Amino acid sequence: MSKIILIGSPNSGKSLLFNRLTGLHQKVANFPGITVDVGSGALSGMPGTTLIDFPGTYSLQPISGEEQVAVDYFRRALDDAEVALVLCLVDATRLEKSLYFTLQVIRECARHGKPVVVLANMTDVLDKHHLSIDTEGLARDIGAPVIAISARSGKGLNDVQEQIRRTVGGQLAAVAADGVDTPDAILRGNAHQLARRYGPKGDILIRSQTRLDSFFLHTGLGGVAFLLIMYLLFQSIFTWAAPAMDAVEALLAAVSDRIVPAIGNQTARDFVADALFSGIGAFMVFIPQIFVLTLVIGMLEDSGYMARAALICHKPLRLFGLTGKSFIPMLSGVACAIPGIYAARSVDSPRKRLLTYMAIPLMPCSARLPVYTLLIGAFIPPTTALGGLVGLQGLAMFCIYFFGMLCGLLITGLVSRTRADRYSDLPFVLEMPPYRLPSWQPLLRNAWHRCQHFVTKAGSIIVSVTIVVWILGYFPNHGADLGSSWLGQMGHWIAPIFAPLGLDWRYGVAILTSFLAREVFVGTLGTLFGIEGADENMVPLVEHIQASNLPLASGLALLVFFAIALMCVSTLVILAKETRSVRLPLTLFIAYGLLGYGAAVLVYNVTTALT
Amino acid sequence: MTQSLWTLRAGDGCRIIRFDDALAASYRVRMMELGFHPGEIVSCVHAPALGAPKVYRVSNTLYSLDDEVALHIHVEPLSHHE
Repeated sequence: MSKIILIGSPNSGKSLLFNRLTGLHQKVANFPGITVDVGSGALSGMPGTTLIDFPGTYSLQPISGEEQVAVDYFRRALDDAEVALVLCLVDATRLEKSLYFTLQVIRECARHGKPVVVLANMTDVLDKHHLSIDTEGLARDIGAPVIAISARSGKGLNDVQEQIRRTVGGQLAAVAADGVDTPDAILRGNAHQLARRYGPKGDILIRSQTRLDSFFLHTGLGGVAFLLIMYLLFQSIFTWAAPAMDAVEALLAAVSDRIVPAIGNQTARDFVADALFSGIGAFMVFIPQIFVLTLVIGMLEDSGYMARAALICHKPLRLFGLTGKSFIPMLSGVACAIPGIYAARSVDSPRKRLLTYMAIPLMPCSARLPVYTLLIGAFIPPTTALGGLVGLQGLAMFCIYFFGMLCGLLITGLVSRTRADRYSDLPFVLEMPPYRLPSWQPLLRNAWHRCQHFVTKAGSIIVSVTIVVWILGYFPNHGADLGSSWLGQMGHWIAPIFAPLGLDWRYGVAILTSFLAREVFVGTLGTLFGIEGADENMVPLVEHIQASNLPLASGLALLVFFAIALMCVSTLVILAKETRSVRLPLTLFIAYGLLGYGAAVLVYNVTTALT
Repeated sequence: MTQSLWTLRAGDGCRIIRFDDALAASYRVRMMELGFHPGEIVSCVHAPALGAPKVYRVSNTLYSLDDEVALHIHVEPLSHHE
């Protein structure tokens, strides 16, 4: 068994090369405690040889806790006797950027007695512009073989495989140990000189890049392009994923319809239909959104546009302690918090990623929409003004959406100014990668792995919670009456909590069940009021609430509560998985619950005083 | 006569003189790793409106820096024939 380490600086094309050398079969693991993937896969055509894909880093001198973990892991891997070779990937079009890191890797390998092969990637781009790098000269000076490759076109990959075979067969010696004590400052100077001596001459590549930037970073045109691209991204989550989400629901319903009638025992039948299939459906329905969003974000990253989008958004978001990279996760959170939380992986600063995690659950996600629609329909009159152009209900919907976003920004702004700096921060120094066409294979693979991660990490917990809630609502009267079930009894117990909002126990039960997913609030309320199918057609439920004379103050209080409270088990589970801790989700659940409740009480009392 | 990197307008070139002590030591090291070392020539390629981060070219790579970093990099402007 031999292991080959693949390491390289960010934007050097490492994912594509890894994909090329291993095919689509890989395992993805995480470093303990942080969200950095380490992929591993068997090398194609070389049984018994595993390629390990390390996260991209600019240096072996870490400046954040996460980088420290990754670098320590790399150093420990070099102590592993099974590691036969280190492949260090550099971007041949921007040699100086990569060479300092390469020299650090070579020095580290010399200390551990490991051989290194340097792979100069993206030479297809150099060929296109009639440029080249001097691989022989570079290899001579750095004391390690250098192979010119193109992960995109496949150029030079046979040479890489041949080099790996020779190394595994013991034909490539370790790096000479004469430079093990060279200080970093000397390495930096050497990298500079080597890049000048052996790198491509001229600046034709950068000139074509800046021409495109003149458009995408233009104050007017760039802003329009940004809005258009973000609109497409938002549409992709809301609209493009919708048919797949409907298909998932239809498939589950069809399977349920075939299985459930065949079950003889009534309780078992109810369990399978309402607990098991509802639980599976509760998380399966997120998969199309996660897949589509991961794919679209991957396209934006691969094409080079993501860095430009982060630049455009950075200044306004910095006011609230966030970074430009927080924008896309937060925008995704407007559709659904789950893909938004996954998207926050692209925020490299641990501190700003934490703040982004805090903001996402306050974005007005699509699960809040049915709740808002019900409450606005019940409490806000359908008055219009300006010849029907402005409707009061539409205005209320806009206000509650805006309120959620504003809460998210204000909270992160406040926390960023008061919180002790336990998480390391990184300055806004963003490499602007060249524009290029995305490579589909790694993007599809990444989207697929993200879905796998969601199913394996969150699925069982979401199903378990669904089953617990079903048991509480089903027993002891076997589903005859939700009001007298254990859940109903709990609703009575917690009724005093919601009394200050003018709400009775039935609203308490509906709020409890909305923990599964916010939209469940509507269906539960319908069941408790004896209105079937309220989640499909809200009109009878709206009329019932209006007829019950529930005051406007209670309706507004509920709206505010749902805008802030983190009533979503799936979001909590994914937050726990992504942060490797229950601390953040638990803190947010309690804090946003209390804040939502406090704000609701305030709104209730102010509205009561004014009406 | 030195000025901060942040004062550069699009099209301006400069030579890096030194880093401010206000920039954390780890950030200074990272900036040098990326190519922003004293003596290096840097040019401002884009300076978007409304105080957005500016785009700088160092060697054959473009980086976007905001004022929190660029204000602490002291440079001297290049004369037109450099």
